[in-house]
Amino acid sequence: MTQLAGGDGRSPGTSLSVPVSGRVGVQAWWRTPTARRYLFGYTLLAPAVLYVSLLVGVPFAFSLYLSMSDASVGNPVARFVGLENFKAALENATFYTAVRNTVVFTVGAGILKGLLGTTLAFLLLQPFKGRKVVRALLVIPFTLPIAVSVLGWKWMFDSQFSVINWALSRLQLIGPYGSPDWPVWLGQPGLALFSVMFVNVWRGFPFSAIVLLAGLTSVPPEIIDAAKVDGTTFMQRFRLVIVPMIAPILFIGSAFDTVFTLSDLSIVYLLTNGGPDAATEILPTLAYNTGIRAGALGRGAAISLFLFPLLLPAMILLLRTLRRRQY
Amino acid sequence: MSFQVSDNEGGTRMTDPRPAHVDPRTVGRRGFLKVAGAGVASTSLLTMLDARQAPAQIKGTSLRMLKWSHYVPAYDVWFDDFAKKWGEKTGVKVRVDHIPHLELPARYAAEFAAGAGHDLIYFVGQILTGQYYRNLIDLSDVADNLGKKYGGWLESSKSAGQVGGTWFAIPDFFISIPVLYRKDLFASVGMGEPKTWDDLRNAARQLKPKGHPTGMQFSHCNDANHNWRALMYCFGVKETDPSGQNIALDGKEMRESLRFAKALYDEGMTPEVFSWDDASDNRFLASGVGSWIHDAISAFHSTRITNPKVFADTFCIPEVAGPAGLKWNVGEPNVWAIWKFSKNIPAAKEFIQHIADNQKEAMEASLGYNMPFLKEQYKKPMPYLGKDAKLSTLQDQEKINAFFGHPGPMTPAAQEVLTTFIIPDMFTRVARGADIEDTMKWGVGEIRRIYAKHKG
Repeated sequence: MTQLAGGDGRSPGTSLSVPVSGRVGVQAWWRTPTARRYLFGYTLLAPAVLYVSLLVGVPFAFSLYLSMSDASVGNPVARFVGLENFKAALENATFYTAVRNTVVFTVGAGILKGLLGTTLAFLLLQPFKGRKVVRALLVIPFTLPIAVSVLGWKWMFDSQFSVINWALSRLQLIGPYGSPDWPVWLGQPGLALFSVMFVNVWRGFPFSAIVLLAGLTSVPPEIIDAAKVDGTTFMQRFRLVIVPMIAPILFIGSAFDTVFTLSDLSIVYLLTNGGPDAATEILPTLAYNTGIRAGALGRGAAISLFLFPLLLPAMILLLRTLRRRQY
Repeated sequence: MSFQVSDNEGGTRMTDPRPAHVDPRTVGRRGFLKVAGAGVASTSLLTMLDARQAPAQIKGTSLRMLKWSHYVPAYDVWFDDFAKKWGEKTGVKVRVDHIPHLELPARYAAEFAAGAGHDLIYFVGQILTGQYYRNLIDLSDVADNLGKKYGGWLESSKSAGQVGGTWFAIPDFFISIPVLYRKDLFASVGMGEPKTWDDLRNAARQLKPKGHPTGMQFSHCNDANHNWRALMYCFGVKETDPSGQNIALDGKEMRESLRFAKALYDEGMTPEVFSWDDASDNRFLASGVGSWIHDAISAFHSTRITNPKVFADTFCIPEVAGPAGLKWNVGEPNVWAIWKFSKNIPAAKEFIQHIADNQKEAMEASLGYNMPFLKEQYKKPMPYLGKDAKLSTLQDQEKINAFFGHPGPMTPAAQEVLTTFIIPDMFTRVARGADIEDTMKWGVGEIRRIYAKHKG
């Protein structure tokens, strides 16, 4: 029996007897405010955890399973082969070209999108007539179906009827069709990689600009004005005031863009299909052609999983930096 | 008119549907009535079967089929109407889905994984019979029936339809990839119709300086896979042994074909061939620039529409010969198949039979594009081709037809070599100046690795 002071209107000194047993003690843990708070929190989190597990975890686990099996598109019975498929990828000379191209493609396109997106965001921040229309027009590349826009670019890069080449030729910057300096955009190794990267940048930089614009508009003008009063230059304000303030948005935007660019199959597949001679081969096209078109699911999955160690450090770095800034 | 009935031995034989002629002097009244009655009855039955009345069991069912978008759009229009009319006649609700041919493999992988999809499917270019045969129904009855009805199947059809001697797919047609050349330009350098690859090289060497180069794709596209294989096979290269299990291209013939391709590129082409897709050579010919190309007759038809002047001087030859006189043309096969999980196998089989019976109409609708796999369908004049003075040369195409993996079948390993573009890449490397031995070492090594994986 536990003696408790009465606080319920009874006269002082009157004791209240409360039965206590071991069983009641266990129940009390669940009833503690901390436990309830945890329970409530986890309940709220559960749908998100379930969603991520089903839509991300399960496919990822399935990819891992495929990559360690000899599964093919037409054979439901797969044997466990350990790391054989990864070994096979490492023995493939084209794989190394694909890794190099994937890194160049992602980093190159990321830098260009960052530069162009930033410039565009600052331009769109300035007040001018028709700004809303221009802002709406700029999202067109991002909203157009990728097949349509890439086929348009394919026509513009055509070896014979390229409008770019015809314009350059009319401006006498290059010779006529058939001359040695007539660029073959999708046929010369360096130019071909540049071309596919260019289309990715064209499609992606309005997104970067919009993300930046959202960040820039959230910076209080009085802080910028205060920095101006302090005599800072534009670059100083950008580097020391604006970037730190919009860093969370920048990091999230960069994370998205890196993932999208690294796993972008459509542009390369439609423009060059990795050719000529693997000049534009990237991991997604190699994985698709091996896993789906050739039917070797196991080896295709292993190739695609090589994207994971490329992505993981970048994502960890971005998210850690973001967290450090938040707390 | 003829058809098959089962004989007493369980086989089939060809019969004439007309009532048998009987000498009345040797037959009595009862015998005469018996023979005459049998004749009338068999005539009625034969008429019904000849009209290919569909089995009653398919009436009221539905059939979903998946096809590619044909290079000749008019063919798809004809096909959809043909399927619709068949559906009306048989009481089957038909739905035809067309998607780009490059998307078919991904679609089939998804249907297989889901265990549900179209009742009747179609492989084109990439023949996936070898990959999916465990999940496709045995179509030997349909194949045997068609083979007997139309004089047998071409040898190359087995590569497209059979796995281990069993028909898991029924060949519909193949696309031929002949040589299309400008007669006027060849005449301008004193040359007539090209007969050999050397003739083509000579023409290109003389015509390139005059602004009329030639071109074959060195890129990652279907035509690159077909064209360089045609050159290889004409040079005597064997991609595999006849079993398709062991690679056989590491020989002097392959080295010779690479050497020839390098010379052909240096002397007769421009760097644009490294960027070409399947339609670039069509435009190249139609523009009046190209002196010759190696492509399907879609290029011929598109030139007819877009540049009649050039078309007037454009001619077609089935293939040119290699150094030893060998002539092989590498076509693109198209085959029907039925999933085991198809919900309407009887109707799917009936439709395959029906379209094969109407091959003439189909070939006409495809403007001569759809080359048959059945021997009797090469009877001259062939639909469309027989009426076109320039294309009539293709009526013997069945004699030189081969597919990738030649002389072996289109196995999953051969398929992987095709889809990873190793052969075009070997030619690209050499054309760009790589050493032939280094290229052979790389290419043969990659191909060996693929075959070893499939064996393991």
